[in-house]
Amino acid sequence: MSIASTIIQNTPIFGKMFTVDKSTGLEEINAWPALMIMASFVWLAVAGLLGFVMPATQIFDLDTGHFYTTLTLHGAALAFPFSFQLMMGVGLHRSGGCVGKAVTGVFPALAFITMNLGAALLTVAVLMGLKVSLIVMYPLPIVGAQMGIWSMNSVILGFTGIYLVLACMILCYPILVLKMLFFGTKRPELVLSERSLNDPGMLGMTLSALTLLIAGTPLVIVGTTVLFALYGIIPMTMAAWATEPVVFQYAFFIFAHNLMEAMALMVMSAMYATLPLYLADGTRKLFSNRIANAALWILLLTSVTSFLHHFITLYPNQPASLSYWGNIMSWGTGIGAALSIFTVLATVWQHGLRAEPGIIAVLAGFVLYILDGASAMVTSNIAWAFQLHGTMWQSGHTMTVIVAMSMMWMGVLYHHYPVITGRKLDPVLGVWFVRLFAVGGIGAALSMLAGGAAGMPRRFAAWNQEGWMIYGHLIWIFGLILGASFVVYAYSLLKSRDISSPVVRQVAAA
Amino acid sequence: MLDFLFTGWGAFWMTLFMLLPFAFIFFYVIHRKSVVDSGPSGSTDKKMSRLEGIWLTVVFVVFVGVNLASLKFMPTIASAHAATTRTDIQSIDLSAKSWAYELSSREIEAGRPVRFSGRSTDTMHGFAVYHPDGRMLFTMMLMPGLSKPTSLVHTFKEPGKYKVRCLEYCGVAHHAMQDELTIVKSN
Ligand SMILES: [Cu+2]
Repeated sequence: MSIASTIIQNTPIFGKMFTVDKSTGLEEINAWPALMIMASFVWLAVAGLLGFVMPATQIFDLDTGHFYTTLTLHGAALAFPFSFQLMMGVGLHRSGGCVGKAVTGVFPALAFITMNLGAALLTVAVLMGLKVSLIVMYPLPIVGAQMGIWSMNSVILGFTGIYLVLACMILCYPILVLKMLFFGTKRPELVLSERSLNDPGMLGMTLSALTLLIAGTPLVIVGTTVLFALYGIIPMTMAAWATEPVVFQYAFFIFAHNLMEAMALMVMSAMYATLPLYLADGTRKLFSNRIANAALWILLLTSVTSFLHHFITLYPNQPASLSYWGNIMSWGTGIGAALSIFTVLATVWQHGLRAEPGIIAVLAGFVLYILDGASAMVTSNIAWAFQLHGTMWQSGHTMTVIVAMSMMWMGVLYHHYPVITGRKLDPVLGVWFVRLFAVGGIGAALSMLAGGAAGMPRRFAAWNQEGWMIYGHLIWIFGLILGASFVVYAYSLLKSRDISSPVVRQVAAA
Repeated sequence: MLDFLFTGWGAFWMTLFMLLPFAFIFFYVIHRKSVVDSGPSGSTDKKMSRLEGIWLTVVFVVFVGVNLASLKFMPTIASAHAATTRTDIQSIDLSAKSWAYELSSREIEAGRPVRFSGRSTDTMHGFAVYHPDGRMLFTMMLMPGLSKPTSLVHTFKEPGKYKVRCLEYCGVAHHAMQDELTIVKSN
C-alpha cells in the first residue's frame, strides 16, 4: 500500500473523506492526489477559521496585532496550501488519467512535503511575530527585525517556509507534470480518458506547468541567494544584488502574477475537459476545440507581461511605457475570457446540459472568475489603478480569483471523487454547496470591491477610521455564508456513500 | 459623466456593467438548456460563428472605448503634460519612514499643479491623498533603494484638508501612518 494511502487512513476526520479505493487498481494515480486534496482541506479549515477571526478583530476592536497576524496566516493558507494544493491534487489525478502514467516516486512526495512543511514553518514564524502579509512586502521582514518588531529567527524560519512552498510550486509540481506528459511509458490500465496536446483539456495543463517553471525560475535564483545569505552560507555582501528591494519585488511579482494565471490555465483546461462529459445529448465535445485553445493561448501570451500592472503607481520608477503595456495586456486577457465565455455558452446551447452539482459548481465558479477578471481589468487601467491600488479592491480581486478557482476545482472533484474513493457524493448537499458558495463568494467579492471603491485601504487594522466598517460587516456576513458552504461540502465528503448503493434522494428534490 | 466614471465608484459600476449582462445571459442559457429544454437547439454553425463575430466585436469596442476615454484621467499622462506645458509647478518633496512622513511643505495652492516627489528610507510605503469627501485621489508606491523618487503632478481643484495615508503594508503600525495636506485658495 502506498505511503500516501497509509497517511490518509491514519488521519482523523479528514482521512475518512478521502480513503482511496484499492479495488480498482488505480491507486498509483489516486493515492498522492488524494493525500494532497485531503491536506488542502485541512488548510482550508485553518484558513476559513482565520478568515472569520480577521474581520472579528476589527468589529470587536481587539488588538491590531491580531489583525495583522490573522491577515498574514489567512492569506498564505488560502492561496498556497489550500488553493494551490487542491489544484495539485485534482490536477495530478487528471494528468495521470489523461496520459496513463503513475503519480508515484520522489516528485509527488517532494511536492507534498515542501508545500505542507513550508506552510507549517511559515505558520510557526507568523505565530512567533512575523506579520508580513501574504506577499511578504520585501524588505519588510528584514526591516521589522532591525526595528525589533519581530526576531531575526522568525524571519529565517518564515523565509525557509516560503522558500519550500515556492520550491513546490515552481520546481517539484511543474517538473512532475511535465515529466508525466512528455516522458516515461504509458500504462494502458491507468488511462482513464486519453487526451492529446491538441485537446484543450490537456493544452492548459501543459501551458500552466511551463508558466510556473519559467516565470518562477528568476524568483528561485533570487530566493536561493537570499536564503543562503540568511543562513550565513554566503556573506550578505554577495547577496546584495538579490536583496535590493526592486530586484526582489519584480522577481516576486513576475512569478506571483503568473502563478495566478497558471492556475487559471489549469482550471480552464479542467473545465474544458469536464463540461463535455455533462452534455445532455451525449456529444462529449466542445463547440470548438480551436476557439477553446485560442482562448488559452491568448490568456497565456497576454498575461505573462501583464504583471507590470502591479507597479503602475511606482511611476516614473517603472517607466510609463511599461505601465501602458501592462494596461493593454491586462485588457487583452479579457479577449481570451470572451472566447472562453463564448465556447462554454455555445457548447451548452448546442448540446444541452445535465445539471449535476459538480458541473454547476464549475460553471458558478466560472461566473465568479469572470467577475474577478472584470475587476482585475478595471484596476489595471492606469487611470483607475492610481485610485484603487492598495485598497480593498485588490484584496477583493485576490480573494475572488482564489475562491473562484477553488470552487471550480471543488466542482471538478465531484466528477473525480468516485474514481478516487469508490464513493459518491450526495447531490442534494451538492446543490446547497453551490447555492451558498455562489451567494457567499459573489457577496464577499462585491463587498470588498465596494470597500475599495470607497477608498478603504487593504491590510489595514483601522476600518473604523472613515466609516469603512460597514464593508467590514458585509465582508464578515458573506464570509460566514462562504464558510457555511465549505462546511456543507465537507459534510458531503464525510457522508459519501458507496458507489454501488442507490442514490435515494435526487437533485430534483432540492 | 466621464469625471465620475474614472473614480473608485466609477470603477465599481464599470465592473458591474461588464458583469451583469454576462451573468444574465449566462444564467439564461444554462437554465434554459438544462432545466427548460436540454434538447439540441439546432442552431447552425454559420449562425453560431456570426454570433461569435458580433460578441467579439462588442467586447473589443467596449474595451478600446473605455481605455481611450481613460487617457485624459491617467496621472502618467497628466504629469507629462504638466511638465511640458506649465512653468508654475509647485513642488513637494517627501520622505517616508516607518511610520511617519517628512514633507517639505504641507500647504498647496488650489488650481496650480504640484509635483510630489517621494522616497522611502526603510521599507515599502505608500503616499495616498484623500479628498475631504473621503475618496482617494491618487496613491504612490515608495520603494526603498531607488535612485529616483516616485513622482507625479496633481492639480487640486478645491481648498480643504486632505488626508494622507500609507497604502503599502509596512508593519504593525501601518494603519497609523498618516499626515495631512492643506489646500488653500490660489491668490
Ligand atoms: Cu507605511
